[in-house]
Parts: sequence; C-alpha cells; structure tokens
Amino acid sequence: LLVGLLVTAALALTSLALYNGNEDRLLKLRQRQLNLVIAATLPAVQTPLASAATLADATGGSAHSFRAFMTPDVGPGKQFVSASLWRLGAPGPTEIAFVGSPPQISSQPRELRRLFARLKQPGLLDLTGILHATRPSLGFAFSTSRRAPVFIAYAESALPANRRSKLESNSAFSDLYYVLYLGRSRSASQLLVTNASKLPLPGRKAVGVVPFGAGSFTLVVAPKGSLGGAFFRDLPWIVGLVGALISLAAALTARRLARGRQRAEQLARDLDEIASGDRARYHEQRSISQTLQHALLPDKLPELSGLQVSALYVPASAGLEVGGDWYDVVELDDTRLLLIIGDVSGHGLEAATTMALLRHAALAYAAEDARPAGILEKLALFARSREGESCFATVLCAQIGLEDRQMRFASAGHLAPLLLDGENAQFVDLTADPAIGLRRVRPQYREAVESLPNSATLIAFTDGLVERRGEVIDAGLNRLRHLATSTHEPLAQLVATLAHELTAGDRRDDTAIVGVRWQTKIMSGGWQN
Amino acid sequence: MAELTPAPPELTVTPSSEDGIPVLAVIGELDMSNATVLKTAIASAGAERGGRLVFDLSGLRFIDSAGIAVLLEAAERVGSVSVRDPAPPVRRVIEVTGLTEVLPLESHR
Repeated sequence: LLVGLLVTAALALTSLALYNGNEDRLLKLRQRQLNLVIAATLPAVQTPLASAATLADATGGSAHSFRAFMTPDVGPGKQFVSASLWRLGAPGPTEIAFVGSPPQISSQPRELRRLFARLKQPGLLDLTGILHATRPSLGFAFSTSRRAPVFIAYAESALPANRRSKLESNSAFSDLYYVLYLGRSRSASQLLVTNASKLPLPGRKAVGVVPFGAGSFTLVVAPKGSLGGAFFRDLPWIVGLVGALISLAAALTARRLARGRQRAEQLARDLDEIASGDRARYHEQRSISQTLQHALLPDKLPELSGLQVSALYVPASAGLEVGGDWYDVVELDDTRLLLIIGDVSGHGLEAATTMALLRHAALAYAAEDARPAGILEKLALFARSREGESCFATVLCAQIGLEDRQMRFASAGHLAPLLLDGENAQFVDLTADPAIGLRRVRPQYREAVESLPNSATLIAFTDGLVERRGEVIDAGLNRLRHLATSTHEPLAQLVATLAHELTAGDRRDDTAIVGVRWQTKIMSGGWQN
Repeated sequence: MAELTPAPPELTVTPSSEDGIPVLAVIGELDMSNATVLKTAIASAGAERGGRLVFDLSGLRFIDSAGIAVLLEAAERVGSVSVRDPAPPVRRVIEVTGLTEVLPLESHR
C-alpha cells in the first residue's frame, strides 16, 4: 500500500503541477487526472476486499474460503499485514477468520465500533483512523450489501514507524517534498507518510484532497529548490516524470503487470518524441489511463500444453478515460478452462470500477461452481443488488473441456464467439439472454454445448471490434469472419491483426479480444500452430 | 501519433405525445459522447413509473452499448418501453444482444 500511496502522491504531484497552468483545458485535464489518481490506488486495495466480501456472501461466510482467497495478499512485503472476515450482528461484530497477524483493531474497541457503525454504504471502501498499537497501521473495510447476514472483509496495512519514506533519489520528482495525511486535516496525529525531516514544510506549497473510497487523503507538496514556472517550459522533465509515474504505477501491480510495465516504458519513449506541449499532455493523460486499464486486466494467461491463449485490449481512440471491457481466462483444473469476456456500458472511472467488481465477483462465483449459466445468474443477482445508478454489462461465459473438446457456454447479451476451423469460420450458434443489471428481468440463462473440431481456434470479442457507424452489425461480423479465415498466422499475431485491422480509424468504443487455439500434435512430437 | 478527441456526432430528440403516451423521436447517432442528451429528454418526457414510453428510432442511424444502456435504464424505470421502426443497424443490435423482450419492437408504418 505504501507504494500505492506514493503513486497517489506522485500522480497528484503531476496534477498539482498542472494546476499552475491557468487554461481551462488544463484545469479539466487536471480534474480527470485526479479521478485517475483514485483509480490508480483504490482498485489495488478495494478489489481484493470486494472479492473476499463477495466470496463470503456466496459461501455463507466460509472461513476456509476467506483464508484461501486472502493469503496471497497478506504478509511481510505484501499489500496487507492482516486480513480478517467479520459478521455484523447483535450485540456487535464477530470475527470469523483472520490471515497474517491478528487484526490490531480487535484491541481497540472504540475504533472497532466506530468503523462498523459507519459502514453504511455497501460497495464503498471504508477507512479506519490511524491504529496506534504495537505498530502504526491503517485499516480498510468493505461489504457488498446491507442485507443480513452482512459480511465485512477487513484488512490492515502497516505504516512506516517514523512515517518517513524517501522517494527514489533518481526519480524525476526527487526534488519535491511531499506530506500525506489521513482525512482532511493537516495535524501531526493524522500524518501517514512524508519524505521531509521537519514539518510543516516551509515556503511555497500546494495542498490537495484526494478522495479514497468513503474517506480521503490530504496531500501537501513543496519544491525543494526552484520549480514552479519552469515546469511547462521544461518538457523533457515532464516526460521523465510521466515515465517515472508509469513505472511506479506498474510497480504497484507488479504481480499482474509485468507486461504493462514494458508497455509503459514504450509509452514513455513515445512521449519523448512529441514536440508540442498540448499533445504531450494529451498523451500523458492517455498513457496513464491505458496503464491503469492494463493494471485492471490480467496479464498472465494460462499456459497449457497443446493449447494457446492470447488476448488483447484496445482502448477507444477518442477516450482519455479507462473503459469497461474485460476478459479472463482461468484454468479450473487440469481438464477445464473458463473464458469470461464482458463489456460494462459506459466509460470512465465508474465503468472501470464496476468492471473490476464484476470481474472479481465472476471469478469468485466460478471458484464455487463453474457452470457458465450459474455464474451469469449469480452475477446478474449481484449487479441487481448493488445500490445507486443502474449499470449494464454484457458477459459471455464459456467452459472449455480440454480433453472432451466440448464447450459449454452462456451469454448475457454478449455477441457469439467465432469458431475457426481451417477455411471454415462460423459464429457459434447462440441465443443471447438479457444483459446483466436488468432489474425487471428474472436472471435466467440458457446453456448451450458445442463440440470443438480438432484444430479449432475460438475468437471471443466485445462489440468495439464489429460495430461501425452507418452499417448493420452483420457487416462488421462478416468483416471479422473474412479477415479471420484469410489470415494464416500464429494465434498471437492473428489476434493482433484482427484488433489492428478492425479497430482502425475513429474508435469511440474500447475493444477486448481473446483467442484460444488447439495445437495439433505432429509426428515429430512437437506442436504445430 | 493518435488524433485528438473527435467532435460528438449529431443527435436530436423530439418529444411528442400519442393518446397520452409520450413518444421520443431520436434522430442521428447515439453513443457514449451524447447519451446524456437522450437521458435528459427521457427525464423530462413525463413517463410515470408503471406507465408507457415509445422511442421512435426510425431516424437513428447508429447506437452503441452506452446508447442501449440509456434505453434499458428507461425500461427499468418506466413500466413498458417499446422501440418503433428501428433502422436495420439499430434493430440488429437489439436482436443480437437478446433484448427484444425488454425493448419490444413495434411497427408504425
């Protein structure tokens, strides 16, 4: 989390620096950037807890499931030092299970009561005050609904004991002091972390409030030397800063983002070549959103013998914002693979947050019972139970048998995948049931079974790949079918070619595409593409 | 490198009423960049919960998932929503996404 806070700090530094410009356009960009600041760190904390809470709802609060799910994120050097599952009830909250060290909040009954009494908004991450016990820490809590039984996933992250943490000396913003406080006050008791040895910071400074779930942080920055007006004239500096930011953001989700980092470095290099300040800021903004989007998507796909999996996400060309398309391919066991692809309507932070929630909920449901129709039904009930603005999503869920070559699938308003077999290409015969998120429709999904030919390639995609203005969707589907049959390339290139050729031009929508290909065993014992 | 943000496509929404049932004629292209235009029109169309609302989509040339979401939101809030004379690009999107039950199509010609 500390790294996450530093990313927040770093991203906000950019925003605050941009603040110095007085053009309206810059102000708007800064506003969007602050939104992205939240997106940068919030999912990293919220999604594990949201998934754990969803899993608890699905399993009736199973301690075993909770421990199995949270263990990878808890321990020294991990996101959390402690994670626990609670059930809300009279006379007070009961602890069901914990992972890592025992939750410090248990020994602070006042803080415990305060947090659980405040947990009024399901679906929103809540923060404790700074917990002063054997070591200072900060707690986070999440619940999915208010309906009984209410399960709360809770976790604590350690703060540095003396609250001091230096920025990398070679980073582009090492000539800045920063101070991060919990909440809106700037009192010493609320200090989370700083790189200054003496507080308060002297001289010129900038202050900003960064919303974080149900709470917020206050960030104060000051230049160590001269900085201010030179900022915009000094474009290479900005480029360097963006590069550093992106690698920081990449490090935040390092486990899931090895490839994202490479991409970020490429983006930083691309930025280097841009001359005009406006364009630089535009691309800076765009690359940050893209990096975030990649942080939200899986970067590791299963590697199975005899089977290739490849996937790609293409952001909207018009959008500066993160989108709502997602995909997942997971191994259920040695013989079964689960493919999920979805599209949350809309763009921006809200769509991305909903996407992250649905994505993790789907995986939690799949861990329970991997029937595609069952996953969609639970997902539909989950989406309906969320309060606030309605959200809609189309989702395709397919369970692929590696040995029996049977695919069981169900669709919530999602387009049918393309099945390629040599020169033959057909969209899988599928009747879509309604999208996720409709309250008036009873969530009931039909499952279909398709036998896959020996050397088949399956291409699942979102509507961005085939929808184009001024034409019937069938024209786009036919374009995909023709291009897929005429392109004889290894799977990764095929996926890239389809994405590149079919999303060129004015893309107002983002696109996700996933390919699965069976390799035929040849006589020499190797695998043929 | 990439182009800057293109201008939003044109969209006009004309409200009218037939036998007391509000009708919204949606003309142009509907996507995420202008979906709020239709949202606002729906809010002021005066369709009651449990009432009826008709979208005349004969002049709508394009719809994306954000546009569909606005129609679905209306279907959720108002009791019965129908879609009149959609042009093929729009009709096919409603059909392939399995929404003909929620957004029943009707012909007026």
